[in-house]
Amino acid sequence: MAGVGGGNDFQWCFSQVKGAIDEDVAEADIISTVEFNYSGELLATGDKGGRVVIFQREQESKNRPLSRGEYNVYSTFQSHEPEFDYLKSLEIEEKINKIRWLPQQNAAHFLLSANDKTIKLWKISERDKRAEGYNLKDEDGRLRDQFRITTLRVPVLMPMDLMVEASPRRIFANAHTYHINSISVNSDYETYLSADDLRINLWHLEITDRSFNIVDIKPANMEELTEVITAAECHPHQCNVFVYSSSKGTIRLCDMRSAALCDRHSKFFEEPEDPSSRSFFSEIISSISDVKFSHSGRYMMTRDYLSVKVWDLNMENRPVETYQVHEYLRSKLCSLYENDCIFDKFECCWSGSDSAIMTGSYNNFFRMFDRNTRRDITLEASRENSKPRAMLKPRKVCTGGKRKKDEISVDSLDFNKKILHTAWHPKENVIAVAATNNLYIFQDKIN
Amino acid sequence: MVAKGQKRKLHGEDEGGGSAWESQLQSVLDISMDKFHRDQALVEPCLLRSVLINNTLRQVQSEVRAQVESLSAVNIPTKLKPEPDFPQLSPPAEHNAPLFSANAENTEDEFMAWTSEEDFSLSSAISAILKDLDTVIDAGQGPCASQRAPLSSLENLTQYPLRTERTSDIASSIKTEVMSPGCPQDGALDKFLLDIDASVFEPEVNLLQGFSVTADDLVKYLPSLSKSPSASSSSSLVSHSQATWEIQELEHVMDILMRTYPQS
Repeated sequence: MAGVGGGNDFQWCFSQVKGAIDEDVAEADIISTVEFNYSGELLATGDKGGRVVIFQREQESKNRPLSRGEYNVYSTFQSHEPEFDYLKSLEIEEKINKIRWLPQQNAAHFLLSANDKTIKLWKISERDKRAEGYNLKDEDGRLRDQFRITTLRVPVLMPMDLMVEASPRRIFANAHTYHINSISVNSDYETYLSADDLRINLWHLEITDRSFNIVDIKPANMEELTEVITAAECHPHQCNVFVYSSSKGTIRLCDMRSAALCDRHSKFFEEPEDPSSRSFFSEIISSISDVKFSHSGRYMMTRDYLSVKVWDLNMENRPVETYQVHEYLRSKLCSLYENDCIFDKFECCWSGSDSAIMTGSYNNFFRMFDRNTRRDITLEASRENSKPRAMLKPRKVCTGGKRKKDEISVDSLDFNKKILHTAWHPKENVIAVAATNNLYIFQDKIN
Repeated sequence: MVAKGQKRKLHGEDEGGGSAWESQLQSVLDISMDKFHRDQALVEPCLLRSVLINNTLRQVQSEVRAQVESLSAVNIPTKLKPEPDFPQLSPPAEHNAPLFSANAENTEDEFMAWTSEEDFSLSSAISAILKDLDTVIDAGQGPCASQRAPLSSLENLTQYPLRTERTSDIASSIKTEVMSPGCPQDGALDKFLLDIDASVFEPEVNLLQGFSVTADDLVKYLPSLSKSPSASSSSSLVSHSQATWEIQELEHVMDILMRTYPQS
């Protein structure tokens, strides 16, 4: 996809990297979610320490044509704090599991951020003017002596340094017994859904003391539990449709018009298992870690441990496309089960035009698949390749036999360097890749 | 490391075939047990992880049982009584095709090539694994209420002022639910184990062939007697009774061990 040039091939170049360079990574700095807003002007990250950092893209200026659209810090705030549930003697982590932007409707920006139990609606607004000339108080805020006030004056708005404020406008709490894994804003821009391991709730953005439970798969007897919800998303155009995925590799599409409670699905997507590849780990690797609708709304994509699948919503019995992310790990599943890597939850994302998809892997590798040409490429997010505008070299994993130059063998992969979270700009070929505590931004050279 | 069924060859040609499957099974069992125990110790283990590990354990259990069934069926038909129906380990329509069904058929075909000693060792070892699984799983289900099982209810809906539109089974959700990962009714399991004729475990038969489970390995699967309960006095009383129960289980398993692995 890169190098040859011409056609629709991408040529990904390093643009920026955010975060500390230290070898010792503080746990709190590990990025846990990455999301562009609807215009792509803002890029939000959440971390394990409960903080949200928002980057804003610089306007292109004629003075500095080369620094095209760099992202700089716009706002940083503490979204969630660690809590203690005294009733159950449980600590609630402050880690941000998901951030979702709301479409912009006025000068302010709004986003939803969720940890395991609580969702918050944050308003991010700019202040660049300040009123001066109050009658009752001095410029430093002290009250003026009343007998000194002899005239009335109208305060004047004066420009000030830009200040970006984040304030929590709504707190949606106490609706999830289990850990929240997904939030998704509905296309009606009034409601959103939140999903935990066993339930999905529908909220109204204005109402915090009440939510409507639309899916509940908790069995009467917990001993019979064999399947949990792993991800959920609203359809991008049809506000009555949503999907949720399970730990058994199935996806259920539900229509909220058909019943108030969507325990019965409208469509059930499952690929029949290949009996020749069955193993003890078949179920674990079939567990879906992420589900995303295409921008068009016609397709959806699911990520399981070894592959990414594209489904046509009109065909339930198998995906229309399957891409192998790191098939060389299939023979290592026992070790990956032992070191818990098999439980890693990778996300996936669509390009703005739905022509390409991207997902992460180990050793700070991430993979891109072009759906039209069926070509794929493996790239690496590393400090070594971080010269400005340096083009990224494709990487290759050697699965056996002689290792060629520049290839890396499977046994040399660093399984602690995992890319779980990636995001693609909604309109341009700009991608954000979270590698532990660093955020890499790459751009397509052609633009 | 994919556990594909390997065709068992004639005795002497490839003894690695059967033991490769056993070692794979043993690894998955060891790792799953370890994770299961670690999760038991957590106050709030990850539900997705618990479900996946439990399902894997169930799968191991059903594979082992399938092997025992196939071996027992051809082993000594006159000595072994017919086995009872196994209760469903998993919800209906969930059970996938057995992993080694093809292998089981091959085993039956080539049974006559095996010595009876190896079958005794294999079936007794597999029975031991089954017993371990159930002993550990029963331990997880113990009467100790202070130790939260991974899938027990975390709900306490009436405590919150939040009103959800669907309020199904609030009452049932309040009582503590204790999870037992795939453990069938104890009575049926005991019945199955009793049905295996004790003469299978004659001391003169060399039962150490082809299987590497030692007494130490089995003992380590047993619930830890030194596990410290929480500080409250009520739970210390509960854990005392649990310790007594565990000692009885230990003695029972040791009896079986003494019969199967005679002191040298």
